[in-house]
Amino acid sequence: MAIAPGMALPQRRLFLLPTRFGVGWAVLVLLLLLLGINYQNSLAYALSFWLFAVASVALLRTWRNLLGVRATLRLPAETFAGDEVRLGVVLEGGRPRHAIEVHAAGGRVTEESARAGSTILDLATGRGEATLRLPACPRGEQRLPLLRLESAWPLGLVRAVAWLASDEALLVYPRPRGEEINEHRHAGPGLESGDFAGLRRAVPGDSPARLAWKQWSRTGVLTAKVFSTPPRQQLWLDYDGCRGDLETRLSTLCARVLTHHQAGDRFGLRLPGVTLAQGEGASQRRQALTALARFRSGSNPGGTP
Amino acid sequence: MSRRAAGAVVLADGHTLSAFMLRRLFVGQCLVLALHLTYMPAWLGGLAALVAGYRYLQLRRRLPRAGVVLRLVGVAALAGGLWLHYGTLGRMEAMIGLLLGVYLLKLLETHSRRDARVVVLIGMVATTVAFLHSQGIAMAAVALLAVAWLIYSLVWLAGAANARQAWHESAWLLGLAAPLMVLLFLGFPRFGPLWNLPQADRAATGLTDEIAPGDIADLSRSDRRAFRARFEGDEPAPGERYWRVYTLSEFDGERWRRASPSRFATALEQGESPWVAEGRRSPWSSVTAPRFEAELLLEPDRRPWRPSLGTPQISGERLRWLADGTVEGLTPLASRDLLHLSSSGMAPSWLEPQGMHRHTRLPAEGNPRSRELAQRLWQQAEGEPRAFLAALMSRFGEAPFRYTLSPPRLTSRDRVDEFLFESRAGYCTHYASAMAVMARSVGLPARIVAGFLGGERHPDGHFTVRDYDAHAWVEVWLDDSWRRLDPTAAIAPERIEQGAAAVEGAGDAYLADAPFSPLHLRGVGWVNRLRLDWERLEYRWQRGVIGYRDEARSALVARVVERLQAFWNALQEQLSSRAPLTWLMGLVLVGVGLCGLLVGLRAAWRGHREGRDEALRIRRLQAWLTRRGMPPHGGESPAAHLRRLAGSAEAAGPALRDCAHQFERLRYARLGPGERRSRRQILGRRVAEVKRRLASQGRPG
Repeated sequence: MAIAPGMALPQRRLFLLPTRFGVGWAVLVLLLLLLGINYQNSLAYALSFWLFAVASVALLRTWRNLLGVRATLRLPAETFAGDEVRLGVVLEGGRPRHAIEVHAAGGRVTEESARAGSTILDLATGRGEATLRLPACPRGEQRLPLLRLESAWPLGLVRAVAWLASDEALLVYPRPRGEEINEHRHAGPGLESGDFAGLRRAVPGDSPARLAWKQWSRTGVLTAKVFSTPPRQQLWLDYDGCRGDLETRLSTLCARVLTHHQAGDRFGLRLPGVTLAQGEGASQRRQALTALARFRSGSNPGGTP
Repeated sequence: MSRRAAGAVVLADGHTLSAFMLRRLFVGQCLVLALHLTYMPAWLGGLAALVAGYRYLQLRRRLPRAGVVLRLVGVAALAGGLWLHYGTLGRMEAMIGLLLGVYLLKLLETHSRRDARVVVLIGMVATTVAFLHSQGIAMAAVALLAVAWLIYSLVWLAGAANARQAWHESAWLLGLAAPLMVLLFLGFPRFGPLWNLPQADRAATGLTDEIAPGDIADLSRSDRRAFRARFEGDEPAPGERYWRVYTLSEFDGERWRRASPSRFATALEQGESPWVAEGRRSPWSSVTAPRFEAELLLEPDRRPWRPSLGTPQISGERLRWLADGTVEGLTPLASRDLLHLSSSGMAPSWLEPQGMHRHTRLPAEGNPRSRELAQRLWQQAEGEPRAFLAALMSRFGEAPFRYTLSPPRLTSRDRVDEFLFESRAGYCTHYASAMAVMARSVGLPARIVAGFLGGERHPDGHFTVRDYDAHAWVEVWLDDSWRRLDPTAAIAPERIEQGAAAVEGAGDAYLADAPFSPLHLRGVGWVNRLRLDWERLEYRWQRGVIGYRDEARSALVARVVERLQAFWNALQEQLSSRAPLTWLMGLVLVGVGLCGLLVGLRAAWRGHREGRDEALRIRRLQAWLTRRGMPPHGGESPAAHLRRLAGSAEAAGPALRDCAHQFERLRYARLGPGERRSRRQILGRRVAEVKRRLASQGRPG
């Protein structure tokens, strides 16, 4: 039934459903035809035929409006449990298309959330993008919801519907939570750079503030100032060192990973059955968060309290 | 890429209609009201303004929405107003008023898209109902505008981003639908009415079935159209254009009355059947062949009269044929209608079943001087009716009789005497009445015929007969036939030949009630030409579109079938004359050629597009590879995909790598137009090479 992202919407996966207004329109056409017959009125005949013809053309144009649309998804860079998921949707149509609605299936608890999970796109130049705000989801690998593409353009008589299912999964990190976050942020050393330690050759990407402009004017060689990095902590973040149930402990660990990464510390992660060696930088942070997100109590021989 | 302008149609909350959309709905209402303008009570316009004003203030000042009490009061006030205006709610006009009022009041409770769509639907119904009033060109044009606007509002409601887009889409919808509409209109079978619906009430205008000297002058004051006619075959000469409508045979000394079948029936306490018969053919008519075949385009009227040139004989539809040689429709006309009617051009030549004595009956006394004069003339004519009538006619032709449309008022009981011996001024009814009275007083059967004389002939050959062409003349029974005798011809021959406008001294009465009629400007050449052109267009429209009924449809379908048949026959003949094999070969060749042409065109088009869009070309290459079992991985860029495949594809490897390279250069490098073109060409060649090599080596393991 559903199509995959990146695939042009084929004819077999595109469904046309009449709307209530479409049914009303059919009744209207019949009514006008009856007026024409009973009053022998040529213009009433003509108008009823015209409205019928307009409906037929509208049916075709609704179908054509959605046919061949290619949808791709942009997953958010990182998502923490409890956060709203901002899912980017890009529609490409090749030609102008109008008023295409994108709805996320499920999560239609209230009108508010239903509207947050849907958006309307107008592909005036053949391409359009928007962001769907999906409700928060729990930690772990989450399947993306089924997306529904709809369009009632141009008259709202019929609705063309297609479903979009992605096999990509969204990795949701635990919700960072812990009382010591704030302490760490301020008490932890090394948040600021230390003393001037020398010059090195500038490479693209250096902050302009760090470039040694004076030396450049003197020598003609562009250099960057290097500051001594403060001594960093080397530490282990341990599952067993935290209190509370499984999710609470993971939340605490997640908060610590974020804090120590920000502080520039070297840290390792010990989970029951999983050990991540000490390291630093963005890759270490990602690995640690991924391990936390993927962690299952089943793989935990120690068991949760 | 454009995010749609939010909140154009709906407010920020996502479902309440904005003032912008309400304005569009209101304009639609105004257009629909314009269709009804001359037929509806004027205060409905006030209601529209009131409702719109309320909504404006409500949105502007953020007042609460109209509560159920206000809406109920609105509907009650509407019904009350219509009841006061029409005296009842059961009449057609009142019901139309109710529909319009509800359409206007609906704006009070229009808050969501759904409500707005309901308003548009009601608007469509109201537009159609306007066609019950008139189906003229002007009505159709304004209705076209209204429908286009309503469709335009629907496109806005469906989510148009701007006005240009909305108009563009509406134009496409209406334009693409038009051919289908025309086909349906021409081909859809027409039925008779399925059931009876209330009809709009028409004012009875034109002729009455009761004449006292002085009545028809009122008609000469009006330029209202009575009917239009076109002749198949002979056209009547100006002196022959006597359209008979009613015969008036009962005279009470003052007024002439029509003896209708229903009056006979009630007077004699028996059915109407001796005096009237239904059918398509006159049961009274003798063998005379029809002289004139007229196609009449009749205006709506409350009475079912139908004009005929002389005695009616054959008709295209069922009519009521009356014994006095006139004809009636089965029902009054609620809207314009076409009627085919053949007639003899002469007065009837049969005796009515109730005998002749009715036509010689006069009140026992009254008009003594006229009777005396008639007796004297009768004696002078020595009992010879023709001589007697000639003497009468010539008497009218002499001074001091004169023809005028504003004669002195006749007040005495003996009106004929007063006219003949005192005022001596009058028009057709005066002369016809005097003549008929005098003929009857000597025992000659005579009656008055009320109808029309003349009509304006348009350059394209159709005639327009207007109210001011109304006329009255006399028929006298002579030599076993009724003879037409028009005393007006003696006194004002130009009335016969050139119409009412030509009569000198017709005076101020002519068109007095139509001060703005374009007919006043008959003398101004270009105005008159313009008027005639417009009337011709109107006539064609009415005949062609309005008069399109089942006969016309069947004729058209028959013609189309006939053409197809002829074409088929010609084809058969061709086929039989030559060897069928050659034909078959030829057809196959032509078919193959056409297919080849289509395929070639498609390929050329694809190549053209790919030549300008490297992303499309690479996407197609990827799709081709996917079909051959080498799909891209999730999240893999096109270039990465090609490079990965290059590792395993032996011969196609370099070409794949070059494709990836060229694609990346084209995508990301800043290139001049010349280099861009050459790189695109290289990419095209490389893609072709990849396909060739991969196809020859088969699927890689």
